[in-house]
Amino acid sequence: MSNETSIGRVLRASTTSFAIGCQQPMAEQERTTPELGALVKAPNGAGRVTYGLVYNVVVEDDPFVRQLVAAGIEDEVYIADQRQRRQVPVVVNVLIVGCGQGLEVYHRLPPMPPGTLDRIFACNHAEIVRFTQRHDWLRTVVAAAQIPADALLIAALRNAAAARPPDQREAYLVGAGREMAKLLALDLARLDGVLRQLR
Amino acid sequence: MGAALAQRRQDDAALLAQARSMLLAHGQVTDELRRKVATAHEADISWRGADPLGARLDERHAPAVEPRPATLIAADGSQIYPDRHGIALYYLLNTGSIVLRQGGSQAPAVSTNPEVFYEDADLYDETGRPRDPEYINSQRDRRELEALADLAEAERIALGGDLARPIVVLTDGPLLRWTPQRITDREVVREVHHFTAQLERLRRSQAVPFGYVDRPSSANVLRTVELTTLAAEEITRETVRHGRFRPLADRALFDDLAPNQRTGFFASTSDLNDRYRRAGHRIVFFYLNVAQRPGPENALIVRIELPEWAAHESAGLDVAQAAVYADCALSGFPYVLARAHELAVVGYVERHSLEAMLGQAMLRCGLQPVASTKAEAKRLTGSRSRR
Repeated sequence: MSNETSIGRVLRASTTSFAIGCQQPMAEQERTTPELGALVKAPNGAGRVTYGLVYNVVVEDDPFVRQLVAAGIEDEVYIADQRQRRQVPVVVNVLIVGCGQGLEVYHRLPPMPPGTLDRIFACNHAEIVRFTQRHDWLRTVVAAAQIPADALLIAALRNAAAARPPDQREAYLVGAGREMAKLLALDLARLDGVLRQLR
Repeated sequence: MGAALAQRRQDDAALLAQARSMLLAHGQVTDELRRKVATAHEADISWRGADPLGARLDERHAPAVEPRPATLIAADGSQIYPDRHGIALYYLLNTGSIVLRQGGSQAPAVSTNPEVFYEDADLYDETGRPRDPEYINSQRDRRELEALADLAEAERIALGGDLARPIVVLTDGPLLRWTPQRITDREVVREVHHFTAQLERLRRSQAVPFGYVDRPSSANVLRTVELTTLAAEEITRETVRHGRFRPLADRALFDDLAPNQRTGFFASTSDLNDRYRRAGHRIVFFYLNVAQRPGPENALIVRIELPEWAAHESAGLDVAQAAVYADCALSGFPYVLARAHELAVVGYVERHSLEAMLGQAMLRCGLQPVASTKAEAKRLTGSRSRR
């Protein structure tokens, strides 16, 4: 854990979701901000981990930048300062999809949400594969309200597939598709939409 | 309150018209005026007038040289004061700085330097009394000035000693700082020594120091204008303490400055400035309009304080003024000062993060990080107001 780079800290949390505050220079945003569907983890220092999927990334309004843009910022030195030296406040919203301890993973809500200012880390490929070995977490995403659930499903499944060796990706997606068919048996239009975008 | 403010605005306008007439009619700086300034200071040692350096009180000056890119260096400081209701007694100073080279595309160099103080020698004075906010503020100010001197020296070295590139250093606020009444003479001497040592470093680096005061409320020049129509025997403690232009500020008097035009130079008549003068670093000031559009309704009059030695080098000063004026173009306030403040400020999240780390450190040492019940009650009720 000590070698991993934190992507931010918890700003606020509930049993089902939490928000991360990230501060990065604008020029590094693309590289360091977690993507939609990324699997992240919040270790709590006692060996337990909360897992979540990124479902929303908000670049907060920056009044200073707004003022400079309105004034017609043109000088390269000011633009370079804004892009390379100022940290842009980014808030990342995460849907909790499981918890774990050591190598054990459980697709259920954790007993306690992450604490304020807890560090959040991106999961590596091995962790993604371990977490998505079973498909039970799909149910949590399908049932989530007030989030772009379908877009999150598609992004998360693509990431899960990409974490696997190339010869295993299609088989993984086919298996996930079968699970989705069970979950969305009563909403065929929705199922069709998700499966089409998984291709 | 709105009606009272409107009435006051009207009253002030009438007073301002009188002040302008006096300035126009009696603006010549004569030996008699200088004697009156000295008399006023003797009558009341707290009187803060303006000692004019030029030939007229209403001089105007626009830069006479072509603007050229300068290096602007700004520093600002912030603090967390000791809180006896907190989990531990400490204070923090944070100095933020920026070095911006105009005319290029290179991103400025920025830095922050936080320091936490928790030892007894930092928390208590020689008599065992807790350090007060004024002491902490002075420590903060010292670090700002030291940072500016450090960065100016480094920049001049980085430029290979090339004096063609101007270096301007800015602080947010006056160079001539207010000193609290309770400060001992020994402490004043120490502060003067530290301050003048940093100015000497800046002079050796050929850097021009500006103390930038936005929306200045000072009335030094108005107090001197009042003296112009008083006979010498009328200058008493009573008359200088209850001057008729008391509601006004100098910036109103000079709102007819054109953009990037400045007044002549003045020196504050404070005893502290006299100490600086004896050390070779008397602080003088001028007013400058940093607005982009002409007209009193658009004027943004600021006060710039600088050492007298920097004021005497008029070509260098013109270039420095033009560089700062250009830096104000985006927002009416120097970009570098805004950024230095942003780098220095310790927000709620940073403070919370620091105290979380401090709490963990205390736990590891077997201590319980517990705030007072008063602090806890405020924390619970402070997030929203209830009726």
